[in-house]
Amino acid sequence: MKIEATGLEHFYGHEKVLDGVDLTIDSGSFTAIIGESGSGKTTLLSILSTLLQPTKGITRYDGKRLSELGNIDRFRRHNIGFVFQFHYLISYLTLRENIALGAIDESRIESLLHSLGIAKLSHRYSDEVSGGERQRAAIARALVNAPSVVFADEPTGNLDSKNALGVYKLFREFSHQGTGFVVASHDKKIADYADVIIEMEDGIVKQIHQ
Amino acid sequence: MITPIKALRKNRFKTALIFISMSVSIAAIFLISAISGGVVSMYSSMLKTDGDIIVTQKGIADTFFSDINRSAADEIAAINGVREVSALILGAAPVDPLPIVGIYGASKNRFKSYALKQGLYPSSGEVMLGSKIYETLKHPKTISLSKKEFRVSGVFKSRIGFEDGGVVMGLEDAGAVFHKSASIFLLALNDLGKSDAIVAQINKTYPQMEAKTTDGFIDSYNQFKIIKTSSDVIGAMAFLMGILGIVSMMSMVVNDRRAEFGIMRSIGLSSRVIIFKLLGETLIIALLAFAVAYGVSEAVLELIKHADKFQGYINGEITAALAIKVFVVSVVMALFGTLLPAVYAARVDPMSLIQRGGA
Ligand SMILES: Nc1ncnc2c1ncn2[C@@H]1O[C@H](COP(=O)(O)OP(=O)(O)OP(=O)(O)O)[C@@H](O)[C@H]1O
Ligand SMILES: [Mg+2]
Repeated sequence: MKIEATGLEHFYGHEKVLDGVDLTIDSGSFTAIIGESGSGKTTLLSILSTLLQPTKGITRYDGKRLSELGNIDRFRRHNIGFVFQFHYLISYLTLRENIALGAIDESRIESLLHSLGIAKLSHRYSDEVSGGERQRAAIARALVNAPSVVFADEPTGNLDSKNALGVYKLFREFSHQGTGFVVASHDKKIADYADVIIEMEDGIVKQIHQ
Repeated sequence: MITPIKALRKNRFKTALIFISMSVSIAAIFLISAISGGVVSMYSSMLKTDGDIIVTQKGIADTFFSDINRSAADEIAAINGVREVSALILGAAPVDPLPIVGIYGASKNRFKSYALKQGLYPSSGEVMLGSKIYETLKHPKTISLSKKEFRVSGVFKSRIGFEDGGVVMGLEDAGAVFHKSASIFLLALNDLGKSDAIVAQINKTYPQMEAKTTDGFIDSYNQFKIIKTSSDVIGAMAFLMGILGIVSMMSMVVNDRRAEFGIMRSIGLSSRVIIFKLLGETLIIALLAFAVAYGVSEAVLELIKHADKFQGYINGEITAALAIKVFVVSVVMALFGTLLPAVYAARVDPMSLIQRGGA
């Protein structure tokens, strides 16, 4: 799925936090959004991922505007995955049950558990595994419906650097298999793994490195 | 099915609070309905024993105040279609050491409706006691009633609590105690089809009296209406308290679980899925609470039935109809109480997961 944004502006009250953002995100690529704190990364990610309506400007998904996508829950379920800074695994469900929660069909679960290295832990609850393992389960949950794009905001914010690099590697591997990743991060190291780097500053796109 | 139970177990403290508040409300509804129903049904089955038609003083609010001339009983008995007329005095008085006891003065022909367990029916200066009060008073030989001694001639057993905890005496003796001729007549008919005609004839012949079919009397009897209305009001309050309890606890539960609902929304599960999930959880609690409240109510009713203090006057039964009614009420309570918090849960914005600093 190709995502195009044109003329995005966003206000929180009177404060303008996005000031004319234009960009295109192609499927099957790993895009990193980097920039100082407060530069508008999270806001841009939320708009691109349909969670937030921009004050001005248009987002298109394979040429269709948001209003033309039909039921937005359904659209999200089939096309978009999310990974947050916190894993948000439901504590009374096992890792496997968490992954299965939003699954349209469960056929991918086993292979995902294996490729993320948590197959042996799948029957455990989230408080019975490590932070890195939790985040990998959250990534599996995001991937279970084979979405076109996965959006992640500071997905490594709670991980040590070794686990963080592991997550970037996973993103790169899955993007080579065709899933797009759009990841907002403070971490400069993400640049070593991403295909495209969008640098934000004060609500505008300062630079795009391919 | 397993998932909601896991969710309830995970939040077991709040689950327990919801469960307790529902159980208390449901038990309150059970008890108030059963007990008020019991009072009404005891009194009406007493009147219905050989009583197809009841005659009282005209315009009286309570049978206790009714005063009619017992000599009319013979004339009414002569009406075509009337099989038998019995006269009753209904009163209440202290019988040492009990502060208040039901006293029934009955014409001789009425005595056969009391099943004697021991002794004889009472003659003048004598009384017979219901088995319950006979036990409570520890098998007395005499009782004193309005400063007069009465010999105990016998003991009868009645399944009607009012009677089993009461004292039966001859009509003349009761008339002397309560200063009246008779309270009511109960008419047994040969042919129920004639009841309306007989009612009309009595009302025409005796302008100071009022005849009604016993069923009609029970339907329109003010005391019953008061009992029923107050029990309905108390029941409705218990219902509302139950709903309020669920709403407040579920609101806290939903707040605790915001991240869970946010993540469900972000992975594209619809609002409806979340609402049904929460409704399902409270329904499970409601079913358990209903079962427990049912059991507790049965136990309490059994205790009350055998408590000496109540002399068998308070007597309730949970009929199948009442159980079904309360079951429906419990389900409705759970659904109403959960709906608002559930809708709120379904509206949790996944954005809050991105913006919020912690889980
Ligand atoms: N809900 C909100 N209400 C008001 N202002 C907000 C809100 N969310 C963000 N902002 C403001 O918008 C600006 C951009 O915020 P945003 O979260 O997009 O930045 P960011 O680049 O993700 O920062 P960080 O790296 O710290 O996560 C900031 O100045 C922030 O204070
Ligand atoms: Mg941010």
